[in-house]
Amino acid sequence: MNENYKIIGRSVPRMDGVEKVTGSAKYTSDLKFPNMLYGKILTSPHAHARILSIDTSEAEKLPGVKAVITHRDVPDLKYGISPARWDENIFCIDKVRFVGDKVAAVACLDEDTCYRALRLIRVVYEELPAVLDFLHAMDEGQPLVHDEYKRNINTEIHQKFGDVDKALAEAYHVRTDAFKGQRTYQAPIEPHSAISMWDGKKLTIYSSTQTPHYFQHYIAREFSMPMGDVRIIKPYLGGGFGGKLEPTGLEFGGAVLAKITGRPVRMFYDRAEMFAHNRGRHAQYMEITTGVDRDGKILAAKANFIMDGGAYTSLGIATAYYAGALLPLTYEFDNYQFDMHRVYTNLPACGAQRGHGAPQPKYAFESHLDNVAKDLGIDPMDIRIRNARRPNTVTPNDFGVNSCEMKQCLERVRVISDWDKKKKNHRHGRGIGVATGSFVSGAGYPIYRTDLPHAAAFIKVYEDGSAATLYTGAADIGQGSDTILCQMAAEAMGYRFEQMKIVSGDTETTPHDFGAYASRQTLMSGAAVKEAGEEVRKQILEMASEMLTLPAEDLDCSEGIIFSKSMKDKTLTFEEAARRHFVVKGPLLGKGAYTPPKLGGKFKGAAVGTSPAYSFGAQVGEVEIDKETGEITVIGIWDVHDCGKVINPRLLHGQVHGALSMGVGESVWEEVLFDDKGRVRNPELGNYRILTALDMPPVYSEVIDDSYEPSGPWGVKEVGEGATNPTMGCFSNAIFDAMGVRVNSLPLSYEKVWRALKEKREREEAEKK
Amino acid sequence: MYMPDFEYHAPGTMAEACKLLAELGGKAVILAGGTDVLHKMKQGKMTPEHLVSLKNLDELRSIRYEAGRGVVIGSLATHNNLYTSELLQNKYLSIPMAAHSMASNQIRNMGTVGGNIVNGVPSADLPPILIALNSTIRLVSASGERSMALEEFFHGSAQTAIAPGEILADITIPDQAATGSTYMKFGLRRSGALAVAGVAVTVIIDGDIVRGARIVLSSAAPTVMRARDAEESLKNKKVSEKLLADAGAMAAASSRPRDSIRGSAEYRRNLVEVLTKRALDRAITKGHS
Ligand SMILES: Cc1cc2nc3c(=O)[nH]c(=O)nc-3n(C[C@H](O)[C@H](O)[C@H](O)COP(=O)(O)OP(=O)(O)OC[C@H]3O[C@@H](n4cnc5c(N)ncnc54)[C@H](O)[C@@H]3O)c2cc1C
Repeated sequence: MNENYKIIGRSVPRMDGVEKVTGSAKYTSDLKFPNMLYGKILTSPHAHARILSIDTSEAEKLPGVKAVITHRDVPDLKYGISPARWDENIFCIDKVRFVGDKVAAVACLDEDTCYRALRLIRVVYEELPAVLDFLHAMDEGQPLVHDEYKRNINTEIHQKFGDVDKALAEAYHVRTDAFKGQRTYQAPIEPHSAISMWDGKKLTIYSSTQTPHYFQHYIAREFSMPMGDVRIIKPYLGGGFGGKLEPTGLEFGGAVLAKITGRPVRMFYDRAEMFAHNRGRHAQYMEITTGVDRDGKILAAKANFIMDGGAYTSLGIATAYYAGALLPLTYEFDNYQFDMHRVYTNLPACGAQRGHGAPQPKYAFESHLDNVAKDLGIDPMDIRIRNARRPNTVTPNDFGVNSCEMKQCLERVRVISDWDKKKKNHRHGRGIGVATGSFVSGAGYPIYRTDLPHAAAFIKVYEDGSAATLYTGAADIGQGSDTILCQMAAEAMGYRFEQMKIVSGDTETTPHDFGAYASRQTLMSGAAVKEAGEEVRKQILEMASEMLTLPAEDLDCSEGIIFSKSMKDKTLTFEEAARRHFVVKGPLLGKGAYTPPKLGGKFKGAAVGTSPAYSFGAQVGEVEIDKETGEITVIGIWDVHDCGKVINPRLLHGQVHGALSMGVGESVWEEVLFDDKGRVRNPELGNYRILTALDMPPVYSEVIDDSYEPSGPWGVKEVGEGATNPTMGCFSNAIFDAMGVRVNSLPLSYEKVWRALKEKREREEAEKK
Repeated sequence: MYMPDFEYHAPGTMAEACKLLAELGGKAVILAGGTDVLHKMKQGKMTPEHLVSLKNLDELRSIRYEAGRGVVIGSLATHNNLYTSELLQNKYLSIPMAAHSMASNQIRNMGTVGGNIVNGVPSADLPPILIALNSTIRLVSASGERSMALEEFFHGSAQTAIAPGEILADITIPDQAATGSTYMKFGLRRSGALAVAGVAVTVIIDGDIVRGARIVLSSAAPTVMRARDAEESLKNKKVSEKLLADAGAMAAASSRPRDSIRGSAEYRRNLVEVLTKRALDRAITKGHS
């Protein structure tokens, strides 16, 4: 391992920092085009209703209205992000399935006219009974959200590895607990928006997407167009967290409106519409059983879950598989059973939210494990260290794990959080909890079946060598991938970071990459970038070899200086060699591509959750509880992560902070609430409480320095989602430690904590009598 | 979001404003900081034909002391004006602290004390402390002016004593016998959270005897309310933990909260009990705080 890196491993400033801080960065809805129209979507006011008729004539007459479209004007081909269940239409045809389902759209001269026009569209509905409670969605006699899915079952999974029943029968202690997770929403600060325009047969869409490639693929499919005629451009993005993974009515509807009017059409969701579109975290019921030996070693685990999918599939099949597939990662056990039902309800669809499928099951498992530890009288930290996964192991569901510093993460977090002392001298009202997490560094298989490489990159060196541009399909959605990929490019080339430029997330000018999801870009896009950079380096050294009349093997290049390894005074600048290359050999270009190896086992669903590498992490949270009000004050969070080689420490810790702010929010504050008609009660940031800066607790974030992942470029792994995984469990356990009672459902709100304490007091008083 | 059309006016003087409001009658709504009005209009809960902005009436912005009257706060003073007022910080720190507990900095720069009062919702944070400090308000219209105790202004949720065409000009806090005052708000996060429950108190302390107390609850009933039984229970009693706890229980018993998105009635009643006890303790031990 060459540790003599010049550019990776340094906290270089973000490439887009100045633009974002000064406000000059242009996001999709900042863009304006000549003749641009504004579009809006009419959505369903009912959770479940038959559409009897739609009359758009009044809306069409309103001055300023340029087009009104319904299902009659768009393809009726069903779409979705998961090919296994394409179940959405651009506009509903015979039924609406949730409050917010898409019914029609308008394009107008200005936004105000859009709102007026929407009010003039007459839709006659026949209301149908709705399924709002996912725990009863499978009951006999419930209305069906989709006729073709009996008992409202969208996805059913039954997996069994090893001999669970035997292991449980032989275990020293067996325990079952049940938990409930709430529906949360990604709540990115930037609302979804898209601007669509046509140039002859070619469709261009500027979109706030985290996955330009999937948008291109699905839009081309929906309109029966060649991929090459669809261009998706991702401007700056204000967060996605999984909520901007799939094309929406904004792209599909916008494309049709732009076609009809012959003008660019800008469409967007306002905050309430974002909540209605949703695709946030599934609410989930989770039952967990484990059997352990006398020392707390896990012998078998059984997970039985039900998920509220909402009205459509979205990315939910993958979510359902992830929920179980990632559970056996942080602890080693051989016997594992996973049963899951993802059900349809007449609520907005759920999808992938940061940590995709894993955080709630982790909350359940980690809470359960603390209960087990308590039953056995074992310190929660010890039981985890005892079970911690080791490197070069295979999970019961056939995931190969290379690097794994799970144990070191736990041991380190024990030290930096002062765990042992805090456990021994329990301070009144205070509690401390620990939990672990692990996540994929990119999915082993793409969302739809294809043999395309997962990532690709070009590098173009300028004629005079004064700059180089990296072209990548990777999507910087705020996490900083542009910056770290340029660090990687410069390192591989032997160039300077300050001279790097980047074009990313544009399907026409950049080579294919699957985009920002499954925490894949550092490892996968990075691998392609490294290859491209090395190709440049090879060519520049060959050129220099001719110029210096030295063998290429004697030359190396670092930070823009080419030097001889044997003769100190023989140097050349990168610029000189690059310019010469252009003159005698033509453009200096490098290219790279990355395809992961074949991963995973042979059983049904074996592919979901596979990854070339897994991150590991441990978190400790300390809370103080106001016993009279249930108010929770977070004293601190300690996070130790095994994320392989770190490319940019500041950005990495930024990811941990961001993940924690979402994790803490989901633990205590956030929940999408519905009324008895299926309407979101809090589609705004006043009552959907994400953390504010003032609520952010002190965070102590560390990494395991010598972690090295052989499958990643320079040894990298993921961090962006993994750090969300332990948080809810760690809070649940800290609150348990502080109060001696467990809140079995998320969020662990002040009121629930207060109620649990009150019930405990009442129980204790009753026992005294 | 959709903003319905309206006609905008910004009269230059109080007299013009009164005249305009008299002419427009029920078609007009007064605009101060707009943090309630514009929000309601966007949600379609209010569709006034005319908005009459008070922004040019600079005389309504001042916060001053007038001998014989007391502290006078112009209705257009923003929450941040209250927060940064040296006069208030020195005399009744409880008011700047209450103002600071509200919303977020952006909203505190726009929202006004007048709007907070006239809007008339039970979760408003300023009325409780102003009522606890015995404030009166002055209402001005084309046909003259009248004053009343702020406490009498609130009739029910979003129902107040204001008549069409009237402008709330200022709020007066008379010189106090109270030795301490405070407002305690319980929100579900540190910023941008409305009160799940709030309690304002004033106390007159003489040695270790409570000579008098006022306890005003927000988010505890359809409108801001006094907890009179609890107030009575303190009179001429020696301060003790139990005394304050009992007063808290009485305040809770008299409260009438409902289940809401922020908390169940049962939880909110508990909060009234806890906050009352804690607010009394703080006002007794820390004065105006
Ligand atoms: C994000 C957000 C957070 C908030 N958080 C809080 C909070 O924590 N606590 C809280 O109490 N409130 C909160 N509010 C509500 C609001 O900000 C306050 O009530 C504010 O004080 C209203 O003042 P304004 O000047 O903006 O009123 P406006 O919206 O201009 O007016 C409100 C009402 O009062 C009338 N009015 C205003 N001034 C006068 C006057 N001088 N004479 C006669 N009538 C008048 C208007 O016609 C209107 O009916 C919040 C609002 C938002 C948007």
